[in-house]
Amino acid sequence: MRNDTPYTPSTAYPFGFLDAYAKREIRRSILKAVALPGYQVPYASREMPMGRGFGTGALQLTLSVVGPDDTLKVIDQGSDDSVNAVNLRRFIRKTCPGIQTTTLTEAATVLQSRHRIPEKPLTEEQICILQVPYPDPLVYVEPTEEKRRTMHGEADYARLWVKLYEDMREFDEITISHRYPTRINGHYVLDPSPIPRYDVPKLNRSRALILFGAGREKKIYAVPPFTKAEPLTFEDVPFRTETFVDADGNRLACRRCGATDSFLDEFTTDTGEKVFQCSDSDYCLSRSQGPASAIYTEARHDA
Amino acid sequence: MMRKVLDVKGLSKVYGKGCPYCRDATGPRFDTNICPHCASVVAVHDISFTLYEGEILGVMGESGSGKSTVVKCLYFDETVDGGTAHFFDNHGQYNLFDLFSLNAAQRRWLRYRRFGMVYQNPHMGLNLGISAGGNIAERLLMNDMLIYADIRKRASELLQRTEVPENRMDDLPGHFSGGMQQRVQIAKALATNPPLLFLDEVTTGLDVSVQASILDLIIEIQDQLKTTMIVVTHDLGVIRLLAGRTIVMKNGCIIEAGLTDQILEDPQHAYTQRLVASAL
Repeated sequence: MRNDTPYTPSTAYPFGFLDAYAKREIRRSILKAVALPGYQVPYASREMPMGRGFGTGALQLTLSVVGPDDTLKVIDQGSDDSVNAVNLRRFIRKTCPGIQTTTLTEAATVLQSRHRIPEKPLTEEQICILQVPYPDPLVYVEPTEEKRRTMHGEADYARLWVKLYEDMREFDEITISHRYPTRINGHYVLDPSPIPRYDVPKLNRSRALILFGAGREKKIYAVPPFTKAEPLTFEDVPFRTETFVDADGNRLACRRCGATDSFLDEFTTDTGEKVFQCSDSDYCLSRSQGPASAIYTEARHDA
Repeated sequence: MMRKVLDVKGLSKVYGKGCPYCRDATGPRFDTNICPHCASVVAVHDISFTLYEGEILGVMGESGSGKSTVVKCLYFDETVDGGTAHFFDNHGQYNLFDLFSLNAAQRRWLRYRRFGMVYQNPHMGLNLGISAGGNIAERLLMNDMLIYADIRKRASELLQRTEVPENRMDDLPGHFSGGMQQRVQIAKALATNPPLLFLDEVTTGLDVSVQASILDLIIEIQDQLKTTMIVVTHDLGVIRLLAGRTIVMKNGCIIEAGLTDQILEDPQHAYTQRLVASAL
């Protein structure tokens, strides 16, 4: 998070790919987003050398906040090894000479993530940047952006609640599994990117700064550290997260590390058996092999 | 002494760019509300009336006379081009059209909590894609009623009172008959017990027996809740049944105002005379 180093001869691109003016604009938008928790700040999303929808919004945020002394972790659905994470990490390493990358959550200063917030608690020293496909929770109920902006400004969210009411009426529970509308600091309701319900409570009074970048929709918003984040619900219908229990009510465990306190992915093996495994690969590996495992994956990505 | 609820003075609304001659070149005298100089439509010109607690005011007139525009302006569906309106309730007084005393959020607050509107077309007042109960819930949620069980209870009460079968509460109003849609709309408008209700041609297009039962319902509500209402209609029967006082509009202006009986029995203006004569 230091000054930008000048053009690097190897790539002929400035440090962090984006030019200084683009970064400056994005940083200004970030400051505004932090000042107005949950407010969607419009910004001029730049063309990136990858398709919109591949995390270009969060990528621009990452490139604007990292400096050569930062350590970066890139996550895709909890995993460091999937295509999106690997490619974004490679791109950032290429365009930000000197930057360290890691898979170890606690070693990272900047984390870019798609659809998960890490299991290990984040700290004040860290910035978590989430990739966002649809920034506005009101698109469900109001197609016109102009009207949506007025609704946000006046904190007019009754129609979102009507959607919850209709869910309750039809299914006796709220059926939103991800992108759960969450009210920040008592005013703006944001779409917390497609994180599962399980991760929504992590937004509340989070120690780390959480930034959201929507590249295609050209919006930046933030949950600043120690800010209240409440999922919308009725007073007599408590917000519930995924429980991961089997038919007998026992908490399922990760098949690799045995964790019973993590968000689990479900797989079907070749034999047709259903198995569960931690979605957060760093959490899983740290438990089963110790933090040293991160060095192993790090070396592999370097290849 | 009767408490004032609404005091409207000089309400005007022009569609189009308008010109200095608009106001003087339109109206019943010229039998048009289209300005010959700039072709703007003077929908409402210089309307004033006062409304007291528990009263039903009838607004009568032919199509295009501006009667619906008056209530749409008061319900903030339309912006106004002139005039003032003061609304009074237990909490104080609100200057409806003054941007300096009421911002957009405060207007919305009034619209959601203190006013109710029933449109001629249920599509306007209801979201036909969500259940009847959900439509009522919307109004309650706007009033920060966030307890699911309470919302269900209140919605069911309201539908019962407007005689919508309780087992239809979870059905889409799009599947209801016209009369039933209108009842759901009334239930929705009543959800927050608003002191002021606007009824815009509520019975138009319904068959007579359904009309009668909706009118009965409105009288009952007025009787029990003492809701003040403005009833817009071109149907003399509705005016006769509901309204204590009536204003008659033509080409955007009030041409006659007074007690309903007086207007129907002894109309003064040529247009009102024709109207009354043609209906009888």
